[in-house]
Amino acid sequence: MSTPELRLETIQSMLFAGHRSVRLERHSLLLWGGVGGFLCAATQPVVTVERFPELQQRATALLVWLAFWLGSAACADHYLTRRVRRLREETLPFAQHQITRAWWMLLAMGVLGSVAMSVHGGAHMVYALWTVLLGLGIYLFGLFSRPLTEWIGLATILLGVGGLASGLPFGTTRWLAASCFAIGLPLAGVLGARTEHGALPVRLSALAVWLLLVTGVPLSLASVSSWTPVPAAMPRPLSGLAALAGEQVVSLPAGTAVPLRLDLDSPLLTVAPQEGLPLTLNRSIEIALRDGRPDGRYRLAGGTWHQMGEGLLQLRIDRLAPQLERGEPAIRAHAVFGETESAEELP
Amino acid sequence: MSTPLPSLDPLLHQPLRTQLAAFLSGRGEATFSELKRVLNATDGNLDAHLGKLIEAGYVESRKDPVSSGRAQTVFSLSPAGRAALMAYVATLAELMALSGTAADQAVPASAFIKPA
Repeated sequence: MSTPELRLETIQSMLFAGHRSVRLERHSLLLWGGVGGFLCAATQPVVTVERFPELQQRATALLVWLAFWLGSAACADHYLTRRVRRLREETLPFAQHQITRAWWMLLAMGVLGSVAMSVHGGAHMVYALWTVLLGLGIYLFGLFSRPLTEWIGLATILLGVGGLASGLPFGTTRWLAASCFAIGLPLAGVLGARTEHGALPVRLSALAVWLLLVTGVPLSLASVSSWTPVPAAMPRPLSGLAALAGEQVVSLPAGTAVPLRLDLDSPLLTVAPQEGLPLTLNRSIEIALRDGRPDGRYRLAGGTWHQMGEGLLQLRIDRLAPQLERGEPAIRAHAVFGETESAEELP
Repeated sequence: MSTPLPSLDPLLHQPLRTQLAAFLSGRGEATFSELKRVLNATDGNLDAHLGKLIEAGYVESRKDPVSSGRAQTVFSLSPAGRAALMAYVATLAELMALSGTAADQAVPASAFIKPA
């Protein structure tokens, strides 16, 4: 190699080092990882319908809850990063200032998106949204930092999109998001530091380790948390139910009428409280009762027992159209109701 | 009669000073400690080379006041230093072309865009 070529290579590598001077500090990874993981795991049990029965109350509570934790984390991270840089006698690069602003913007979008979803629907996408936003943030940092950080950002985006596209149950996307924050971020820091000067196979192995841990832990957690205790009571028909305390199981065969009672909160329409939409079961279902009230456990057509909290059953209204039927005004709604795994449509 | 070889800026044609200028070009600004760590240089060596670049007007320094009290000196490439580095890279590319090495390996000019 000629001397000018060597010189140019040196200049190129120093330019590269100068451009890639952004660092996601260890405390940032731990802080954002901890807070993000905590929010993914704890928001659902804290902001509940029981605590905040009104939709507006619930949306406000969610906004305050998320803004408090994420805002506090942003302030703490800003203070600690400046302190660490000062102790190391380093300046904060301009690129890092800008990316930090972009990161805050992403989080603010995530908070607003979560609140909007809780008001306008689509809430089953909320954890996939947070996973994608986290991936975008890491990818942005990675563009000016270590290449492994960039790859991990891309992998996180793909996990978020892939989880949603493959129809993972809501509970699993929740644990996946928690894992991307709480395990993925600190692990990215550790692996990034250890493989900084490693060859391509070393960095690829680091990415494989990251993927394995970040996906393995939430999938195990999801399978443990979705495990539903099988009721000990024998199934009885509706007519054979006794007004007893304790556990009972009611069996509803296919063809049973289950009217849908709509609790509508609208300034435009009013629903008569006793009127229901007549629906009929296509498949048999067993429902567990505790002290005469459904306790959330069910199983379809002799399958495995599930809990309503797993979010497997989803109702989506995807089309509304005003119509005139035989001269009478009506609203025709098209809805899809079914399990996320089997995606069955009811007629 | 042969074409005269293009001449290289003697101030930048020193390994540590070339690296220093290139790093500052990419980084925007850096403290003495950062430069020392990145360039793997001793205090005396770095101080001497920085002094030469400051004297030539290629590098500027400013005091960055910090809340802890002790201000730290921050170094950056001046417009003259940036122009000199670009000219130096262009000359190296020219020399490579003359010696028959692929010129497309040269550092692109866009790499020297000054950070805001």
